[in-house]
Amino acid sequence: MSQSPNVLVIDDEPQILRALRTILTEKDFKVTIASRGEEGLTLAAANPPDIVILDLGLPDMDGIEVCARLREWTQCPIIILSVRDAERDKVAALDKGADDYLTKPFGIEELLARVRVALRHSTRTGSDQTSLVKARDLSIDLAWHHVTRAGEEVKLTATEFKLLAYLASNRGRVLTHKSILTHVWDPADADHTEYLRVYMRQLRKKLEADPDHPQHILTEAGIGYRFLADEDKE
Amino acid sequence: MRVATFSSRFLGYVFAIGLVAVTTTAFYVMRDALDTSLIALLLLIPVGLSTALWGLGPGITAAMSVFLSFNYFFIRPYYTLTVHRPSDVVVLLVFLFVAVVISQLVGRAQAGLAAATAREREATQLYELSTALSGVHGDQTIARILIEYIQVLFAGECVKIVITGPQSFSLQLPTDVTPPARSPELTLPIQAVRGIVGEIRLWRTEPAISSSEKRLLQTFASQGALVLERAALVQAESRAKVLEESDHFKSSLLSSVSHELRTPLATIKAAASSLRGGQVGWDSPARSELLAAIDDESDHLNILVGNLLDMSRIESGALKPQKQWNILGEIVESVLTRMRRQAESHQLKIDIPEDLPLVPVDFVQMEQVFTNLISNSIKYAPTNTLICIHAEVQGDKVFVQVSNEGPQVPPEHLDRIFDKFYRITAADRVTGTGLGLSICKGIIEAHEGQIWAENLPHGFAFNFTLPLTLDGAPPPQLSIEPEIL
Repeated sequence: MSQSPNVLVIDDEPQILRALRTILTEKDFKVTIASRGEEGLTLAAANPPDIVILDLGLPDMDGIEVCARLREWTQCPIIILSVRDAERDKVAALDKGADDYLTKPFGIEELLARVRVALRHSTRTGSDQTSLVKARDLSIDLAWHHVTRAGEEVKLTATEFKLLAYLASNRGRVLTHKSILTHVWDPADADHTEYLRVYMRQLRKKLEADPDHPQHILTEAGIGYRFLADEDKE
Repeated sequence: MRVATFSSRFLGYVFAIGLVAVTTTAFYVMRDALDTSLIALLLLIPVGLSTALWGLGPGITAAMSVFLSFNYFFIRPYYTLTVHRPSDVVVLLVFLFVAVVISQLVGRAQAGLAAATAREREATQLYELSTALSGVHGDQTIARILIEYIQVLFAGECVKIVITGPQSFSLQLPTDVTPPARSPELTLPIQAVRGIVGEIRLWRTEPAISSSEKRLLQTFASQGALVLERAALVQAESRAKVLEESDHFKSSLLSSVSHELRTPLATIKAAASSLRGGQVGWDSPARSELLAAIDDESDHLNILVGNLLDMSRIESGALKPQKQWNILGEIVESVLTRMRRQAESHQLKIDIPEDLPLVPVDFVQMEQVFTNLISNSIKYAPTNTLICIHAEVQGDKVFVQVSNEGPQVPPEHLDRIFDKFYRITAADRVTGTGLGLSICKGIIEAHEGQIWAENLPHGFAFNFTLPLTLDGAPPPQLSIEPEIL
């Protein structure tokens, strides 16, 4: 990235704000901070950020609502921060348009990796969207519906390919159960997590060297799945 | 009913006169064969019978009629009512006297019997009520039983029970009737030791509420008050017990936590301050070691805080599993991915059949169960030994076993290791809050499953079972479509 990106951090805890401002400035980001939801929305409107880091537990308004209000006018990536055991809130925020999440406490490397993935995803426009996704020994041609593993063709069913294609085109990002079920199956099937579990096992058996220790498709407990491509690995 | 009493009383007079007529006729036939004084004696029979059967009024009527017929038919001159001799007046007086005395005696006996019957009925009703109320705790249930008994016994237009206090409510029978606008015919307070706890209102005009009924209702009210009082005491006691337990839990928690939290904090503080103080060179291996210590210990702190949160959630009953059909193997895989570094010291074997049905569980909570059981195994079993995770279907349940080659646990401790803060070994040997296994127990029980520990011939195992049905439905069977690409 040629220009240093604008980051807006919305969090009510001064210690977190202090740490994030120090670290992100060090990493060459332009950092704006807000400790309240309304303040964050105002700052975002005044100076549109390239990425928003949003804490879900704000004193003045629900983080999920901040997410929804931002999504009314901007498609900039939103990464939410939340505590453990708030899976429902995380899923709600992700379904309301947030791009990714981190559970507090988190390592800074993890945060930076998520920020990079989110920024890359948002700058990836229709034309330069590559149709070939590579992940270790795996190569997926989204346009030609062709999947190979270590050079050998992998035979997939129509649903398995649809599932893999959805994950691969959102590589690096977490996808909620609901969003996968809605896209790959049907909005009416959004609650049938069992479809997803069964097909995911089938898919892993075909793609992973050791299905018990998946390297390509990671389970995000209580949230959904994440596909790891080479470009997202550091 | 009043009409009926009147007519039955009137009938008594008719019967008395009839009886006199019948006996007079009978003796009249035999008049010449019998002595007058014997007839006088025999004529006492209808007087006595009438009094005994129909009461004082008919008795006196019988006495008068007997005297008249005796005078008319049996005393010379016949067919006149003239009294010639003073002894005849004595006969009349004797007849009247006998009638009065018998009626008094019979009346008293009857009244005594009626009172005894009424008392017995009251006692039976009271006994039935107290039997129905024994062992009942809820205020609502108590009031409902009370009102049902009152309605059956008193058959009023409407009965209402109003319970006052922190949880006030009112009950009414029959439920589909609105209580009359007029004030109730009988209002009784439900008087407990701590004061008036409610009120019984009875609307009944026909028949008017008798004093004995009023007394019975009062007894009912005080019986109800007693039971309500008892229920309140039981509630207060169980609240006190819960508070005591939670108090005990909190004090054990504080003592455990202050120690457990301070250990990682001390490490972090020491490492951070020595790095900040500049005593450690930039490239020295000590530097990366200190940084790793800070990182590891803050993870450790995070786990401790998570355990405390989980435990308080279990304690307060707020742990509600979000059950969905899941693949058990995927949960285990997700746990092992996260625990890989921690588990490097041991060999892990996963023995979960490929065709194991989907299990209805909360993914995140089951992850917690496996994490705690595996990390417990890692803590106690010697390094480089095998930890095995096995699952199989047993009837309508899935059985899961996490076994290790660690030391056995004395049989008397097997049940207690799931207790909070329970440790078999000295606390300083192994770190942790002592909550991990009780959290597992809380989660498994919230899933309606069972968890227990078991000594194996060469090790130790945690076992648990989980039901395989979700809202009564069996695991879904999904068919995989054929390969078409």
